[in-house]
Amino acid sequence: MTIDLTINGERRTLECEPHESLRTVLRRAGYHSVRFGSHSGETGAAGILLDGAFVSADVVLAAQAEGHEIETVEGLSGPREMHPIQQAFIDTGAIQSGYSTPAQILAAKALLNNNANPSEADVRLALSGVLDRETGYLRPVHAVRRAAAELLGEDPDDIDVVYLDQLVDAEGDHHDRDGISDIAPRVVPSEDVPETRVVGKPEAKTDALKLVKGNPAFTDDTDLSQALIAKVLYSPHAHARIVSIDDSKARALDGVHAVLHHGNVPRVRYASGGQSYPNPPPYDQVSFDDKVRYVGDRVAAVAAETEEIAEQALDLIEVEYDVLPAVFDENEAISGNAPVIHDEPDMEDAHDPSRNIVHHLEADTGDIEAGLAAADRVFEHTFRVHQVQQTPIEPHVAIAEWDSDERLVITTSTQVPFHVRRMVAPLLELPVKQIRIVKPRIGGGFGVKQEMLIEDIVGHLTMATGRKVRLELTREEEFISSRTRHPQTITYRSGVDADGKLTAQEMKIVANTGAYGTHGLTVQMVSGLRGLSSYNSPVKAFDCVVAYTNIPVPGAYRGYGAPQALFALECHMEDIAHELGMDPIAFRRLNWTTVGDPIDIAPQLGEGDLEEGVMPIINSSGLEEAVLQGERAIDWHRRTDQAWRQPPDRPHIRRGIGFAMAMHGTAIPGLDMGGASLKINDDGSFNLLVGATDLGTGSDTVLAQIAAEVVGVGTSDILVYSSDTDMTPFDTGAYASSTTYISGTAVQRAAEQVRDQIIARAALMLDAPADTIELHDGAAWTKDGRSVSHEAIALSSLHQEAQHQIMATASYVSPESPPPYAAQFAEVEVDIETGQVTVIGLVMAVDCGVAINPVTASGQVEGGMVQALGYAHCEEMVYDDDGRMVNAAFGPYRIYQADEMPHLEAILVQTMEASGPFGAKAVAEIPKDGVAPAVRNAIADATGAHINQIPFTPERVWRALNDA
Amino acid sequence: MITEYYRPESLAEAIDLNARTDSVVIGGGTIVNAQPGDVAAVIDLQALGLSGIERDGDHLRIGATTTLKAISDGPAVPTTLRDLARRELPSGLRERATLGGTIAAGDAESELLTALLAFGAILEIVDRDGTRSVDIPSFFAAPTGIIVAVDIPGTGTAATERTGRTPMDRPIVCAVSHRAPDGTVRLALGGVSDTPVTVDPAGIDDLEPPGDFRGSSAFRKHLAKVLAKRVIAAVGATP
Repeated sequence: MTIDLTINGERRTLECEPHESLRTVLRRAGYHSVRFGSHSGETGAAGILLDGAFVSADVVLAAQAEGHEIETVEGLSGPREMHPIQQAFIDTGAIQSGYSTPAQILAAKALLNNNANPSEADVRLALSGVLDRETGYLRPVHAVRRAAAELLGEDPDDIDVVYLDQLVDAEGDHHDRDGISDIAPRVVPSEDVPETRVVGKPEAKTDALKLVKGNPAFTDDTDLSQALIAKVLYSPHAHARIVSIDDSKARALDGVHAVLHHGNVPRVRYASGGQSYPNPPPYDQVSFDDKVRYVGDRVAAVAAETEEIAEQALDLIEVEYDVLPAVFDENEAISGNAPVIHDEPDMEDAHDPSRNIVHHLEADTGDIEAGLAAADRVFEHTFRVHQVQQTPIEPHVAIAEWDSDERLVITTSTQVPFHVRRMVAPLLELPVKQIRIVKPRIGGGFGVKQEMLIEDIVGHLTMATGRKVRLELTREEEFISSRTRHPQTITYRSGVDADGKLTAQEMKIVANTGAYGTHGLTVQMVSGLRGLSSYNSPVKAFDCVVAYTNIPVPGAYRGYGAPQALFALECHMEDIAHELGMDPIAFRRLNWTTVGDPIDIAPQLGEGDLEEGVMPIINSSGLEEAVLQGERAIDWHRRTDQAWRQPPDRPHIRRGIGFAMAMHGTAIPGLDMGGASLKINDDGSFNLLVGATDLGTGSDTVLAQIAAEVVGVGTSDILVYSSDTDMTPFDTGAYASSTTYISGTAVQRAAEQVRDQIIARAALMLDAPADTIELHDGAAWTKDGRSVSHEAIALSSLHQEAQHQIMATASYVSPESPPPYAAQFAEVEVDIETGQVTVIGLVMAVDCGVAINPVTASGQVEGGMVQALGYAHCEEMVYDDDGRMVNAAFGPYRIYQADEMPHLEAILVQTMEASGPFGAKAVAEIPKDGVAPAVRNAIADATGAHINQIPFTPERVWRALNDA
Repeated sequence: MITEYYRPESLAEAIDLNARTDSVVIGGGTIVNAQPGDVAAVIDLQALGLSGIERDGDHLRIGATTTLKAISDGPAVPTTLRDLARRELPSGLRERATLGGTIAAGDAESELLTALLAFGAILEIVDRDGTRSVDIPSFFAAPTGIIVAVDIPGTGTAATERTGRTPMDRPIVCAVSHRAPDGTVRLALGGVSDTPVTVDPAGIDDLEPPGDFRGSSAFRKHLAKVLAKRVIAAVGATP
């Protein structure tokens, strides 16, 4: 059928099928800002204006739009123009990945058309239909209010850093917190940090323009008219042998070009985690196997002319399964009485597959039993942490095609393009040089895209068909077939002496790595490392069994084993303090690590090397300051105010405040490597080519700021091009909180070489000694105030005299992993009759060294805390008795929306980390670590119920209150 | 899969199309389009002029295709219903979803629907036999015909309570009480049965709520008692 409608003021006639959504039809017509988040509309990524109303185009049939007026963000401003709402999103730092930014902007426009001066609540209501997994909504809400002010003719202030006074060693209250805008980045400066011109400033994101205007930027924002559409047949059984597959009917269907399964794809074993060579074992996956190990495991893949034909083809594949008993719980799986999940004859590299044990990790710094025996008191607590999913709003999507040189080009939403190229090559039986991986912008990753997840499927299908092939996961597929966070059962035993000092600390984990071991080793190593590094103890011991089960596969998820460990540790420490009758912070302070302390368990868990005599030592810690800043921001003293704790007018409400400390790492020492190239252009601007992968975190911007600082220009003079295996230097990828620290140092080093080349040329042109010349403000300056511009230097060196391309390439790997520290606070209200927990506020004061960009760093903290709150409070993957996920959709799987947010506050406590670029440490993952224990400890403070299992859903809390 | 789309120009045409067993009426389409199942034909009511809020003495007549957004913004609509229309769905869906669709879907945990029960809303339904007025429980018992309008008393006082995982989560259990000017109190509960239900406060113990991962049967029954007590007290009645 055809429909007539008006799009952005233009009358259009479009072809469509009756079942097709308006999103599908608009995207096919080239309106790429209307994006896919789910079929049922609750992500709002496909938000449009329909007759001025903001609606999800997912759940509007194209046919329903006949005769109506549609507006997309493409219609908001022409080339080189910017609508005030778009500008406000840039100015406030409201954009992270930008995948759903066009929808947020349209929701704002619909609001402002009817309400010129909206309240914060009005704005939150308007944005409630766009799920944002990245920002915590704080900055988007303020962007809309700022745009409203601008449209009313006001001239809002620039967003600038607010410097707070230090509280450590200070007497009384030194700074007035009133009147600070919610989104002004708060920095507690350190006098150790040198002055800088670009670094440390709230620069706008370098990629903001394309994102805010909805220009094609993401993998799927491309012309698919000639592409085949791939679909995957997933296992309906948690554990089964495939007795036979008959694909003849599927192949016979018109429009089907390939059907792949274990019968026609080579069996090449691999581990799918996107990690450095050689990938950690076990190599327990193949592209298609004759056994399935969870509901959502791959059975077959098809490529067809349309999605509908591909889906019909899946229905026509006849698979006979021999269904086997399944096991889902990690403790049952290793009991010796469980079904064996990996019984294939070519299974190797696992500890004991016959008992479903993939790994058994042990580490200690001495005799743990002796350490416990030396204690006055020994405390033991056991915790269970559950399975959650990263849920980037852009699901996994990849497109493969042969280029004109007949090399295979895979464009994919990945955090690890270089690992993907190396890992996919053997599966496709192609040499690495025949493969190019292109990473456009990514609509959120959070670790789930640190994986070679679907690239082999599109690669195989393109090789089988000769055609361009695109595979995009549905929301349900993203839940069940991609990656998740590892569930664990964690037991701590700690010995404490009469003064409250630890004499021994032991951590035992049984971890659930699901059907495959990807990341199963290293996530659990990080759990042990993080779980035994926060506090000093004469003896520490770690014991961890990693179990196979039949649940969907855990992998990398922001925090990478630390959120699990720190939930258990910070509840354990809280409860020890409680049982000792000590103040919870004072007890921790007696024991927490600080400058000069060794991270003594690290060498046994992959960091440092005892045989080489390399013991990691803590160089910087702002924890004390962070705790004081956080206590003040959350009003910690209210814990002793009975009238506040138990409001007289609301008899069923109890209030409390909880604390947790967090210590994380910065990159993997000796392993994570980043490369960067910098070259000058005719006008004195620069191209910065980096292998680093900006997930939306703003790393491209931070890297540009580092380069700009060194070569003496503004951030806008650095043109960043990132991650394309043909074009940029190598980088291990965006994970392990490494990009600013590792790739940033690589950029700094390349820029320093470029700086030296510029100065050498300037010395000739100015006839001055090189060591007297400084670069700033786009020029080289002598001490007596003479200057020559970067443009003149570029023109001279490129065109005029002793021609030379000013350029350099550098790379960096760090021997160290300096820990960022954080103080996390949570305020809650608990309804003691229903068990409902309402989180009122989250405050995190973090020492991330020097924040290169305080706005993007604050955004990482705000958004990270909200993801972590989901882990603590409402998100969980739930299965029926047969292992089928029962809530594989947003809504049943609850993530926070804009109109139900707690108050959020991020405080950046500076320290000067000598090993980092301009003093930087990591900030991306640590916000995931402290929220769950802080919320749990707040519930305990409010009610006396100490709950050792997350999430804190009403029924769990209600049952705990009844038991307490 | 949806293979036919109709936008009837008259109610008679819509009634004829609705007689097919593989057709379904859509208001905004947010539910059917997301999960069409084996629906072959959709009947889009947008051309029939069925949206709008009219006051008729003490009553409101709200057209079936009135969006939840319009209800939440409607100055004539009782505050409780405005609030619950707003809570029902986030923006983006709230602007498409309609009152008629919300009722027809009969979602067990819909707070808005629970409130319509408590208010004693009457549905105006058309089919080949003409127009009839039925209350919502009767419609749930025999869900046939096309809802064209909903009659709601505009007077009385109401109170709502809910328990959910997060503040705007679909409630696990919700309770709404409505006290008419003559003192009659009606209590409705969501999340305790296949659809929202009106309940005699004394009869909560007899409920057997279906449990799921967000709330077991026993927990839902407990919540029903707690929340019912609160909303009844809030309208000034004795539980």
